[in-house]
Formats: sequence, structure tokens, C-alpha cells
Amino acid sequence: MKVLLAGAAAAALCAAQVPRCDLVPGWTQQGAARAYDASNLFEYMDGNSEGYLLYGFAGMHGVTCVHGGDSILIDISEFADADSAYGMFSANRDPRLPAEALGAGGQVTPRRVIFTKDRFYAELAANPEKDHTPALRAFSAAIEKLLPGSNAVPAALAWFPVEGQKSVRLIPESVLGLRVLQRGYAAEYEFGKAFVVLEPSAEGAAAVMAKLRARFGLEQTSQPAPLLVTDRYLGRLCFMQKGRYIAGWANVAEGHDPADLAAALAARLP
Amino acid sequence: MPDSSRRNFLLAGLAVPAAASAARPSADGQQHPAAARPVFTSPRLGYRILGETGLKVTSVGFGCMITSDASVIERAADIGITYFDTARVYQSGNNERMVGAALKGKRHSITLSSKSGGKTKEAALADLDTSLRELGTDHLDIWYLHAKTKPADVTDDLIEAQQIAKKAGKIRFAGVSTHSGQKDLIPALTANPHIDVILTAYNFSMGQTLDPVIAAAHEAGKGIVAMKVMAGGFRTVKPGNRIYDTLKKDGALLSALRWVLKSSDIDTTVPSMTDMDQLEENLKAMTGGFSKSDEELLARQLERIAPLYCRMCGECDGACAKGLPVADLLRYLTYADGYGQFSLGRERFLELPAEVAQVRCEECSACTVNCPHGVRVSERLARAQELFA
Repeated sequence: MKVLLAGAAAAALCAAQVPRCDLVPGWTQQGAARAYDASNLFEYMDGNSEGYLLYGFAGMHGVTCVHGGDSILIDISEFADADSAYGMFSANRDPRLPAEALGAGGQVTPRRVIFTKDRFYAELAANPEKDHTPALRAFSAAIEKLLPGSNAVPAALAWFPVEGQKSVRLIPESVLGLRVLQRGYAAEYEFGKAFVVLEPSAEGAAAVMAKLRARFGLEQTSQPAPLLVTDRYLGRLCFMQKGRYIAGWANVAEGHDPADLAAALAARLP
Repeated sequence: MPDSSRRNFLLAGLAVPAAASAARPSADGQQHPAAARPVFTSPRLGYRILGETGLKVTSVGFGCMITSDASVIERAADIGITYFDTARVYQSGNNERMVGAALKGKRHSITLSSKSGGKTKEAALADLDTSLRELGTDHLDIWYLHAKTKPADVTDDLIEAQQIAKKAGKIRFAGVSTHSGQKDLIPALTANPHIDVILTAYNFSMGQTLDPVIAAAHEAGKGIVAMKVMAGGFRTVKPGNRIYDTLKKDGALLSALRWVLKSSDIDTTVPSMTDMDQLEENLKAMTGGFSKSDEELLARQLERIAPLYCRMCGECDGACAKGLPVADLLRYLTYADGYGQFSLGRERFLELPAEVAQVRCEECSACTVNCPHGVRVSERLARAQELFA
């Protein structure tokens, strides 16, 4: 396979694992294969590379396949870990469309497939305008087998109640738009937004709670206690610490109790 | 051109504490209202006119690309930021949907832009219709052709798409966004009567190269929007990166924004913001001008990065008398020095043709490569040869 060396390959995929056009009979490679890392991704997707770097992008291998007048661009990105790859997937999936049982999570539309497996995120885009679903599914299935690692979804997804859930995603920085909440998961519901912030230690989580109290103008307490506030933009919200986690709800609609919801969420945490 | 307006006066009323009504549980289990305290003071906003579009926008706008919580955008609009920028491709469209939700009810008071990377008229116009639907609006104030790097990228077909969209009332103004190749692209856009606004990467490390073409474009009536204003001249500088952390620690990020704003040829900026703290920091750039201390801070940063980091502008292509691919070698060195990935740098170096890999800069009496950005090319190449060969 011809490889475009202008883009240095940083991804850890071995040669047998990079995407190939012969994964589906009848398709052939057009042009050189692509390989990029964090330092030159902008050469390939200027204007959108930050969206990848935000999730800890490590590298990308890609190839363009053609068959008759159809073409499919296949790009496999590698991220720092499976959570980050899932985060990239969850940021890019359309929450209004159904998920596909593909890898740890996938989505198939007539011209596009995205899915994640372990620390990899796959994107397949087809041209021209028409339904390419059969070819996209064939390539996706082959690539899923090709990629190493597990199809397990991040453990954090199980923390959020499924009932009424519209979406759940990893927020790589500033959960709720608050810098002090550095990284966590957030799930949207009809009646509010649940979140779990991940801190390295219980002490770290306690320090974050203290900063939240300061930010919202509340007195510091010596005992861990839930933090209940009403914010102009985040509505009725509650923060609650459990070990190294900070769980809570924001924008809670009337008829629901933020403290009760936060307590129930905290109870689901390990 | 700062402007003390009635809006600034009114904004003081919006500078309420984030915790408009906070409550805390006490020992008796009851909720007691906590004393509200101001956590944010609305700054004095500065406005500028976006070229001949006549649009009046805040000099600090909002780049929504990596924002993950709508509350930050909503708050920025309430504070008085009037320019918001997104793109069809950001988060595969989820970003436009979030921006639309955050700005619902405020559309009449803000300037909204999006972009299409469509390569054909049909693809671009289809993107536009999707953008309008996702943003919940019937028109964009500015619609950019996304991430163009050379004049040939701005095809007649795409210009026609913008003209069709204008006639249909779907966009008010046509723009082009560019991250690289500006030296050739911006003059071409300046000469194009159909382009109203240019969105360009621009920061304190690029001034010498870009100032003349930006000034000419502005003089010609083009609206100029700056992005990547805090990149420190190093494209991959991100939170967690050593250089970013240094910039942030020294307060240089705010200085970098102020540096851009001191140019009267820049009408507005679209720094990315992910949280309220960043929003507040960036707004401070509108309250004070570029000071001597800002200048000193950036000079130190520039001194630190300029000799080391290649901006990949391409000026050195073919300049080495020995035929070295200068930009590539500098990038390999960055793998080792900037990212701690020595093996990757060496691997790339060893892939060079033997006759190139064997060149030693110390054998030349004088270097024929002169970097316009001040990278000490021969010194850096010699280091690459010493490290990798």
C-alpha cells in the first residue's frame, strides 16, 4: 500500500490493522493512504482538527476507496483511551437518530457511518449523494473485526438512568461550562441534565466541592454536604460528592427534586 | 474603537452573580438562602464595524467550536457578546444545534456565522439549508467557505453558491475562512468583489507576514475576523501542552488577544471558549488596551518559541542548497523536542532518501535558508542531524 509520508504516522495500529479497500470485494484504493498525528492533523482537516485534539487525538490512518462512480473515505482515529474514543463518538453522533450495534457504539446513515471500538474511532463517508448503506455496512463490519481491543462501552454509561435519556456523552473539559469541573460525563433528559465529574482522588473531589462553594458564594463546610443552588443559566442544580466522583443534576424542571436526583445518581456510582 | 453605549449601561444589570439565588442545607436540614455575591462584573464592551458589511460587532466574539455546554454561549450573549461563529462540520452538526438552542430568542440581537466545507455548489447549498435548520434561523449573517488555503480553492462554483444564497435571503454576507496560505489567498480574496468577510488565523507570531495583506484587505472594505488568536504561533498548542500551559501561566493568553485587538485592521475575533472563566478572561481584553507589560510578555514568548518552531508556511521550500526538506526536518525535531516522541522523529528521519539523510549542515559555510519567522534553521537542522542520524 502506498502511504502518504507527508503525514507522519503516530497511531499504534500495525500494518495489518490499518484500513484497506480490499476489505470489501470490488473496491480499490484511490491515491495514497493517509496518516496523521496531533501535530499535523490540521493539514488534513483544517478547521476541525481542534475537535479531535480536544479528546486526546493520537493519530489517524485513512484511505479512499472507489468502486464504479462511488467513493468511500475511511478514517480510523486513535485516542488516548477507550473513554476518549467513545467521547469523540458521542460528540459526533446525532442523538436524534438510532444507535447501531457496531463496536462499542455506532451510527449508520445513508452516506456516513461512525463507530467506536476500544480506543479507536472510525468514520466512513460516501459519495455521491445516494444510499450507500450496504457498502458502508460491509466496510464497517470488516473494520470492526480488524481493530484490536474490546467492544465494551465505558463503565460510566451505566451510571446514568436509561429511562428518558436523550443523550449521554463525555465532556473533555469544563463540565457545565465550569472550569473547575474538568472532565466528566453528562446525560440529557427531558427534565434536566445529569453529570458525573471524575477526579483522581476523594481529596481532589473535596477540593472541587470547596471551589464550587466559593464560586456560588456559599459558606465552606467541614462536613461533606450536597451543594444546592439556583443559577441563571444552569437552573436548579445540585452537586454531591461520593468518593472521587462529583455527581449532580442541573437545569432540573419543576416537579423534580435536584437533591433527590443527585442522591439517586450518586447511589449508582461505584 | 471602544464604545460606551446604552447597552453597556444596561449590561451592568446583567452582571448579577452566577448564583442568583443560592441555597445551602444546614444542620436542621432546611434550605437557607445563601448571601448572593457578585462573581462577575460585566466589562465595558468594545464594538467595531465589520468592514463594509456595516455589521456592528463586539471586538471579542465567540468561537463555539469546542464549547460543550450551551450555558456559556447563552451567558456570553446576555453579557453582550454579539458575534458567534460555528460551522457545519463541528461535532458533525451537533455544535450548530447547541448554538441554535443557546441563542434562541436572541437571534435579532446577534451576528451569526457558519461555514460549509462543501466542494461543489450543490453540496455547499445543501450544507447551508442544514445549517439554517439546525441553528433554527432563516438566515446567516455571514456564511463562510470553510478552511481554504489557496486561491484555486475558492472556485467560481462556490462563489455562485454564495450569490444564490444571498439572492434567496439565506445569507447576508459571503466570507471565506483560512488557516494557512494567507499570503497568497488573502490578496485574491481582496480582489474578489463577491467576498465580504475574511476569517483568518492571526496571532502575535504571524504579524510581520500577514499584516500587509490584512491591511490591504481591510482597506478594500473587507471585514476581517481573526481566529487562533492565542495559538502562540504553534498550531498544536492546546490545554495540556507544555507551551499552552506556559502561555496560560504567564497570562500571555490575554496578552495575545489584546495584541490582535490593537490592530485597527481586525474587526473582531472568535476565540474558542469552553467555560465561564475563559469567557470572563477574554472579556477583559476589551477593557484594557495592549500595554507595555503585554508587549514584554509576548516578546518573551516569541523569543521562546520563534527560534524553535516551524509554522509550516512553506517559505523555505527549495531554499536549501543541499536539497534538504527543511520544514519536514523541523517537524521531525518537534516530535522529539516538543512531544517527547524521539522514536517517531528518528523513524521519519530514517525514511528520508540516503543522500538527504547524509547531509550535514556544519559542512556549509553559510545557510541559504532564511526563515521569515526567525526559526534558527541551520542550528535546528544540525540538532536534528545530531539526534537522528
